[in-house]
Amino acid sequence: MSDLDRAIEQLRACRLIPESQVRELCYKARELLIEEGNVVSVDAPVTICGDIHGQFHDLMELFRVGGDVPDTNYLFMGDFVDRGFYSLESFLLLLCLKVRYPDRITLIRGNHESRQITTVYGFYDECIRKYGSANVWRYCCEVFDYLALGALVLGASSELEPTMSGGNDITQSTMPIDDGELETEVLNSRGEVTMSTYRPRQRSSSDVSTDSRNISPPRDISAAPGQTGAPTRTGAPGTGASGYGNGSAMTSRTGAVLCVHGGLSPLIDSVDKIRLIDRKQEVPHEGAMCDLLWSDPDEIEGWGLSPRGAGFLFGGDIVKQFNHLNGLSLVARAHQLVMEGYKEMFDGGIVTVWSAPNYCYRCGNVAAILELGEDARNGGTVARSNGEYGRSNGVVGADGVASTVVSPGRRYRVFEAAAQDTRGMPAKKPVADYFL
Amino acid sequence: MALDLQPPDGRKRVKVYELRDNDWFDRGTGFCTGQILGEEPRIYVESEDQPNRVLLETKITKDDGYQKQQGFCPAVPAETLIVWTESNGTDMALSFQEAEGCAVIWDFVNTVQQHLLSLAAADDALSDDLESYQSIVLPAPELGNLPEIEQIVRAASMTQAGRDALSKFIIRDEYIGKLVPLVTMAEDLESLVDLHRLCNIMKSLILLNDNTIIETVVADQIILGVVGALEYDPEFPTHKANHRQYLADQSRYKEVVPIKDPLIRRKIRSTWRLQYLKDVVLARILDDPTFSVLNSLIFFNQMEIVNHIQSNAPFLRELFSVFDPRNPDTKRKDDAVQFLHQCAAIAKNLQAPSRAQLFANFISHGLFQVIAFAVKHPNPAMRTTGIDILVALLDHDPVMMRGYMLKAVNEKKTPLTDTLIDLLHAETDLGVKNQLADAIKILLDPQIPLQDPLARAGPDYFKVRSSNLLSDAFVQQHFDESSKRLFQPLKQLANRPSLNDLTFQEVTLYSHLVDILTFFVRQHLFRTRNAIHSESLAPRVAQILTAPQKHLKLVALKFFRTLISLQDTFYQALMTHNNTFGLILDIVHETMPRDNLLNSACLELFEFIKRENIKPFILHVVEKYREKLENITYVDTFQNLILRFDQMQGYGAEADSALFSQDEGTPRRMPLNGQRWQGVKEMDAAEEEYFNTSDDEDEWTQDNRATLAVGAPNGSASPMVKPLVDYPDDDDEDAMDTKSEEVPAPSAEAQPLTVGDIQVEPSPEPTSAPTSPTAQIPPVPERLTEKRRREEEDEDELVKLAAGPKRRSSTSSNSSAGMMNRKKNLSIGSLGSVEKGGTQGVLGTVTGAAAPKRIAINIGPVGKAAVSDTETCAETVSSESNEKENRDDSQGDEGG
Repeated sequence: MSDLDRAIEQLRACRLIPESQVRELCYKARELLIEEGNVVSVDAPVTICGDIHGQFHDLMELFRVGGDVPDTNYLFMGDFVDRGFYSLESFLLLLCLKVRYPDRITLIRGNHESRQITTVYGFYDECIRKYGSANVWRYCCEVFDYLALGALVLGASSELEPTMSGGNDITQSTMPIDDGELETEVLNSRGEVTMSTYRPRQRSSSDVSTDSRNISPPRDISAAPGQTGAPTRTGAPGTGASGYGNGSAMTSRTGAVLCVHGGLSPLIDSVDKIRLIDRKQEVPHEGAMCDLLWSDPDEIEGWGLSPRGAGFLFGGDIVKQFNHLNGLSLVARAHQLVMEGYKEMFDGGIVTVWSAPNYCYRCGNVAAILELGEDARNGGTVARSNGEYGRSNGVVGADGVASTVVSPGRRYRVFEAAAQDTRGMPAKKPVADYFL
Repeated sequence: MALDLQPPDGRKRVKVYELRDNDWFDRGTGFCTGQILGEEPRIYVESEDQPNRVLLETKITKDDGYQKQQGFCPAVPAETLIVWTESNGTDMALSFQEAEGCAVIWDFVNTVQQHLLSLAAADDALSDDLESYQSIVLPAPELGNLPEIEQIVRAASMTQAGRDALSKFIIRDEYIGKLVPLVTMAEDLESLVDLHRLCNIMKSLILLNDNTIIETVVADQIILGVVGALEYDPEFPTHKANHRQYLADQSRYKEVVPIKDPLIRRKIRSTWRLQYLKDVVLARILDDPTFSVLNSLIFFNQMEIVNHIQSNAPFLRELFSVFDPRNPDTKRKDDAVQFLHQCAAIAKNLQAPSRAQLFANFISHGLFQVIAFAVKHPNPAMRTTGIDILVALLDHDPVMMRGYMLKAVNEKKTPLTDTLIDLLHAETDLGVKNQLADAIKILLDPQIPLQDPLARAGPDYFKVRSSNLLSDAFVQQHFDESSKRLFQPLKQLANRPSLNDLTFQEVTLYSHLVDILTFFVRQHLFRTRNAIHSESLAPRVAQILTAPQKHLKLVALKFFRTLISLQDTFYQALMTHNNTFGLILDIVHETMPRDNLLNSACLELFEFIKRENIKPFILHVVEKYREKLENITYVDTFQNLILRFDQMQGYGAEADSALFSQDEGTPRRMPLNGQRWQGVKEMDAAEEEYFNTSDDEDEWTQDNRATLAVGAPNGSASPMVKPLVDYPDDDDEDAMDTKSEEVPAPSAEAQPLTVGDIQVEPSPEPTSAPTSPTAQIPPVPERLTEKRRREEEDEDELVKLAAGPKRRSSTSSNSSAGMMNRKKNLSIGSLGSVEKGGTQGVLGTVTGAAAPKRIAINIGPVGKAAVSDTETCAETVSSESNEKENRDDSQGDEGG
């Protein structure tokens, strides 16, 4: 569709498309998104991205570092708009790409994809400024209501293919085990490996769970091991999650990865519960849908009040329990600025990915994206779709026996704000004419 | 106090100056001495030609900010000036003939001050006074001095004292004006280094965050030089902005009717410049304090401008006379609409009384005719503008607007609503249609929202009010008639055998109409009943469920979901007497087992019926569609409904009584109030447990039940908290699930550990339900405060992790921490109260769990009648947000 390709080209150059095209785009996107489940199934390989916040030039940098659409399969975890000065360009470009390559890019909803929030934090004003009326804002908000609430990444490989570093190897390997399986790798924007961790190749089901996969950026000292003094159970709790099998026979060794913008909810004990939400509404102030978009992990036990005034804080025990019950190996989420771009917590049970470098043009942070590789033994044949696996597809352990799941190999690409000369001076659009 | 100081020897020749009306007035020439008279150190100047005349006698105190500066003569760059401010506020200067003489007196002053300070410090240990009285002097504004200037400015910006001192100097010395010529000088020399330095200096000076400095910057003679310097941002060395080109363009300022007052004209100009500074020039580097200073300057300017306009009767007359039908100048009319639109946009930011006054003034001059002109304009953009003005009025005071409208009806004129409804039916521009629908929603909304009375306290207030005292019957009649007109296209659907041939325009129209209808039902179920009944609209909406367009189906589904949540017998009958549920089940059939939005929305609807145990629906659905339900097995929702039904039959009499007790007299639970209905709940636990142990229960649920009790599956707080996750230590507590009634709520006192889990100080209140992690969550007293000001959210998301060097307001992060503490303390307080209620009331029997009664900020109008707990949070939501939400209220009834 050449019109769409032209629109993509125009938006890539940071130039807006006419209002009528926006409207058409939004209607098309709506048709597409209405077919998506509240939790979209996505197959590895996929690159998971966090908040963008209208930093268009940095989004371009993200595509440079992570590969272009459709060559790379992307999953964006919301917060496309607000704060930055190019929310419209960023969101419309992502939406165009979604309509153009529906199978190559997944967008889920963030707490900023909401009417209330956007009227306060810039997107509404930007629409008025750039289009002269709130129409485009309305179209976009309508699309927000259709965005999925989460995604489930299936078929990720537990082992990374080592990245070939250039001549100057600046790797600092935490576990240089000759026979180890490459578990995580951190690359800078030039593609050089700056850190890798390994896990032992030989494993029994018991020692995997005690694997040291609490990796975090070298600068980060906050994630101390044994974060909670809680008596955590190592075995399967209670009668276990056995009932979830439901005949779904996933062959992957790694558990699925749940991606949501914020985090978990006390009202959601299984991924299936998310499917019972009528998501086509403004983000509510409470309830499961709100929590998924607003909650944050924290070094506490159980649930806590969120200082944000919406959602909850949840501790490592909650994450462990949730992952175990749902056969997940990892929860990937965004929503919080992390200076290093990503931060793993709770023995690698949850990771925060943040993709807006130098947030608000002044925070001085770097950004990251998370690449999950494809499990080669799957033959890459799992088709991407919604709900075709039956409704309990997030679960390994096909025999109904709760087996320990292995976390997927994780490659973080860290990048900085776009070079100055590629982006010009970021600014809002001034008013054209004025009477007063 | 003993001053063991020696006054300096000799007399120094000096000129004494005093600042009068911004000019240095020469008091005369004389000889200056430092003296200590008694215990008092002072500076003494005797006239040169009349030795007995005292030109100056001033006491040196520790608090005076003396400054040493370069002399007035730029040729001799020596420091020959001492400048200070007298205690009476007069600025004084001593200009010495010799730099050496100046130094002597300067030393004396310094010594005295230091001595006094040390005494004072010993007295009350206010040592930080020392810093705050430091003074700063910048070198002469010359290209050669730029490195030094930049360095001093940067250093001074680091501390508050430095910033204060620097601001003082900049203002007193009118330094910015002196820097401006350097920009063109550096440009002529093509000295990029100097331009970058100038840019940095300008940035730093603006970020000093001083009202006077910022006002200076936007002054006519200064602004171009300042933004000129800011065009050369060293962070973007290869770029040059074109601020000057933009700001110098006079043609951007438009006038419909010339504003004559020069002061107001200047205000308009400088407001425009301030906005440009805020949005473009400084957008990237603005910190919060400067941002708010800019905003408040803009605000006060706008207030003055608007006040000027509305008090200027000749101006208004001329403005509105533009719309005279005999006037052929359409361009001018369009401009005038734009002008009014901009006024309305500015008015949004004003305080309610001045806004009310402005609008009342406009209305009395004929604003409604202007709106009527605009909404019928051939150009969609103009229509949008016209409706925007209308919406601004509606946002401001819907009651007033309805008053005007009803007055028109009463006087047998065509009311605005009729015009708008006709336009909605005919409008082809989808953006405009959207807006029209929103405007009609508010205009016809029969419920009168409570509002700050100040907001309506305009001069026309009482006039309008009196006309608003029309009888309720009249209002109802008007509402019915307008509804009839509005929903006419919907009614005509009856003649349509199939919806497969809907045009795009029709789809949009129906989607808006059903959306409006849903809004009416939710806002005012009684008034809307008439309309729905007499026009038999419900079957039409049901018909829409069969439309091929999925988003249209969704809108219809939302309508019925709203009806269900109202738990009103009239609407229940509507739904059970038609094949509505059959159609909804058809949708489930069509979409299953695919996981998509439509399917989820249907499931949620049935989950809601099951969860709330709405018996008439359960009876109806299972009786009539049992077979259909039995065939849907990919989720357990429908099997559970059947179970629930069977169980009701088991308890036959009880179910019947429950059914018949639901008459209109019973106060209804309103889900919108953010609080859950607790009525039938106690039975739930028992019932569910009963069936959990039965053989009918499928494996999934059973396992599930054992490990984790099902919370409310939908996106809302569960009315009854069950254990969500089974904790290791709680194995023995599982009994609580089955024998919940036997557990007295206060028994939880034996397990106070959960309180500690809330990571705040332990609360003395008994905490119930130790097995339930949700029970640890106290009710959240301050819900989503997303209307928090910009600073606050920055704290939340930024300060926590980025105590970055670029944020210098360390105080804000402190206050943020303080705020969090406060929130937690607050919540503990209310936790106690809720649980007290729980132990006394209904909840006591239910698994001993306190409901996580999380309280929403009900932005919608209904939320105004909020529970007392919400009062604090309701206050955090600005009225503006209220209005916005009103208008955009397309969210489900769960959100409130």
